[in-house]
Amino acid sequence: MRRYVGIASTLLIVATLVVVPAWSQRYIVSLFTLTIVTALLAVSVNMLAGEAGLVSMGHAGISGSAAYAVAWAVREQMGLTSQLALALAVTLLVSLLYGLTAMRTSGLVFLMITLALAMVVYGLAFKWSKVTGGQSGLTGIRPPDQLRDPWVFYYFCLAVLGVVLLLLAVLSRSPLGLMFRGVRDSESRMSSLGYTVAGAKLVAMMLSGLVAGVAGVLSVWNTQFMSPSAAAFEVSAMAVIIIIIGGVGASLGPVIGAALVVGIEHWLSSYVERWPTLLGLLFIAVVILMPRGVAGVLWDDRSPRRTAPWWTLLGRSAGAGPVEHPQDLPSADLAEARGRHQEG
Amino acid sequence: MSPEYLSIQVLNGLSFGALLFLLASGFTLIFGLMRIVNLAHGAFYLLGGQVAITVTAATGSYLLGLLTAVVATAAVGLASERVLLRPVRNNELLEVLVTVGLAFVIADLCLWAFGGNPRSLKVPEALTGSLTVGSVTFPRYRLALVVLAAAVAVGLMLVQSRTRIGTVIRAGVDDREMVSSLGINIERVFTMLFVFGAGLAGLAGVAAAGILTMRPGADTDILLFALVVVIIGGLGSIEGAALGSVLIGLLDAFSRLWLPEFSYFAVFAPMALVLVLRPRGLLGKAA
Repeated sequence: MRRYVGIASTLLIVATLVVVPAWSQRYIVSLFTLTIVTALLAVSVNMLAGEAGLVSMGHAGISGSAAYAVAWAVREQMGLTSQLALALAVTLLVSLLYGLTAMRTSGLVFLMITLALAMVVYGLAFKWSKVTGGQSGLTGIRPPDQLRDPWVFYYFCLAVLGVVLLLLAVLSRSPLGLMFRGVRDSESRMSSLGYTVAGAKLVAMMLSGLVAGVAGVLSVWNTQFMSPSAAAFEVSAMAVIIIIIGGVGASLGPVIGAALVVGIEHWLSSYVERWPTLLGLLFIAVVILMPRGVAGVLWDDRSPRRTAPWWTLLGRSAGAGPVEHPQDLPSADLAEARGRHQEG
Repeated sequence: MSPEYLSIQVLNGLSFGALLFLLASGFTLIFGLMRIVNLAHGAFYLLGGQVAITVTAATGSYLLGLLTAVVATAAVGLASERVLLRPVRNNELLEVLVTVGLAFVIADLCLWAFGGNPRSLKVPEALTGSLTVGSVTFPRYRLALVVLAAAVAVGLMLVQSRTRIGTVIRAGVDDREMVSSLGINIERVFTMLFVFGAGLAGLAGVAAAGILTMRPGADTDILLFALVVVIIGGLGSIEGAALGSVLIGLLDAFSRLWLPEFSYFAVFAPMALVLVLRPRGLLGKAA
C-alpha cells in the first residue's frame, strides 16, 4: 500500500511540475522557477548528505561563487561559452578548496568547516568590490537570448533538474556511489578495505559542488542580479532545512522541501512583516515535530532500511557520545562494496 | 613600522582576541560536553550587546546594563535549552538546526526591537581615556578587555581542573553515559553549561559593544570568528580556544592593515593550514 502511495505521489509531483506552469500566469511560473532553482541547490546538499553522510552548511558559498563568475563574465561582455567555462572553473576551484579543507573531517566538524568557508566567501564578496560590486552587487545579468522567455526558462531549469537527478541516480548505483555510501556507513572499514576515505570525500564534495555551481548559474540568470546575500548563511541553512523537510536522501525530497519553503515564504511574507522570525520558528517546528520529513512519510518503506537511521549518519566527530554510531551496524552497501572490491 | 605603532596594533589584535575568547570558550565548552554546535551563539552575543546599550542609555548605569544583558541572554539560553533543544537531544544534526532557527529568530527580533542602525555602548569614565607607557599610549578599554578575558580564562581553567563540577564536565566530555550511570544528573549539568555559555556570549556582546558596533549581521560576522577559533584551537578545549583567539585576533589586526580587501584570508588561511596539518586543531584531543 505504502509503495503505491509513494509511486502515486512521485507521479503527481512530476505531473504538477510539467503541466501546471504551461497554463499559468507569468507570476505563478516565476514561483515554480524559484522552486526549481532552490531545489537544485538542495539536491547538491542532499547528494552529499544522503550518499556520503556529510552535511554541508556552506553550499551557498559554492553556488554563490559560480553565480559571481557568471555575473562578472556578463559584465565583462564575455560570450556564453566563456561565461560557462569561467563558472565551471570557479566552481571546481572553490569545491576543491572546500574538499581539501574538510576532507579529513566528518559530522559536526565538517558542518562547521563548510559553514566557515561559506562565510569567508560571503565576506570576500562584500569586500572585493572591484569584482563583486560589494554590497550593492552586480545588476543586469541577463540570461542568454534563447532563455529570455520565462516559460522557456522554467522548462529549461526543469530539464536541468531532471538531468541532474538522473545523473545522480546513475551515480548512486555506480561503484563510486557505493564507495560514498561505504564511507558514510563506516570509514574505518572502508579504509581497511583499502579505500582512501579522504579522497572519496574530496570527490563527493567536488561532484556535489558541480551541482551547486549549476544551481548558482541558474539562480543568477533567474534573478538577473547578484549580491553577497546569495552566498549568505541563510541560503546554506535553508538548503539543509529543505532536505530535512523533504527527507534526507530521497531524490524528490528537495523538490518537495523547496516547494513548501518557497510557497510558505511567498504566502506568509505578504501577510506578515517579521518573516525571518517566522522562518526561524518554522525551522524549529519542522525539526522538532517532523524530523523525518515529508518523504520519510511518503516513501518510507519503498526499500527496506539498509543502514542506520539517517541522523546517525552524521557519524562520530570527536570523542564519544551516547549516539549509536553507524560503524557498529551491518550494511548491505558495505558488503556489496567489499564484494566489488575483491572482484576488482 | 615604528615600535609604538606595532605595539598598538598588537594590543588591538589582543583585545579583539579577548572578545573572541569570551565567545569561543562558551561555544567550545558546549560543543565539548553536549556535542551541540550552537549556531545561535552569535545571536546571543548580539542580544547581549543590544540589551546593554538600551538599558545603559535608559538608566545611565553601565553596571546595570551589563547585568541585565548577561541575565537576559542567560535566560534566553535557559529557555532554549529546556524547551527547544531537549526534544531533539542526541540527534546532532537536528540540534544544530534548532540553533539555526533560534539564531534567525533572535537576530530578527533584535532588528525589530533595536532597529537597524549600528549602535555602540557608552563605556563608563573609568574605562575611557588611555594609559601612557613610555612613548606609547594604549586605550584603557582595550587593556581592560584583555584583563577581563585573561581572568575568565584562568577562572575557567581553574574550575575545570580543581572543582567537582569541572571534574564532572571533563568526565562528561569523555563519556556522557558513564557519568550519568555514576548517579550524576547530566541533564542538569547540560542545562547549566548551556546557560553559562549563553551568558558568556552575552558578556562578550557587552564587552564588544564598547569597541565594535552592534547592528544586524554582527551576529554572523562574529560567529565566523568563533567557529574558526575553535576549529583552529581544537574543539572542546579551553586552552585551544585561548590559543586560537590570540592567534586569530593578531592575524586579523595585521591583515586589516596590510591586505584590507582580503582580510578574510587571514581567517581562511590559518584554518585551512591547521586542518590539513592537524585536523583535530592545535590542542584538540585524539578522537
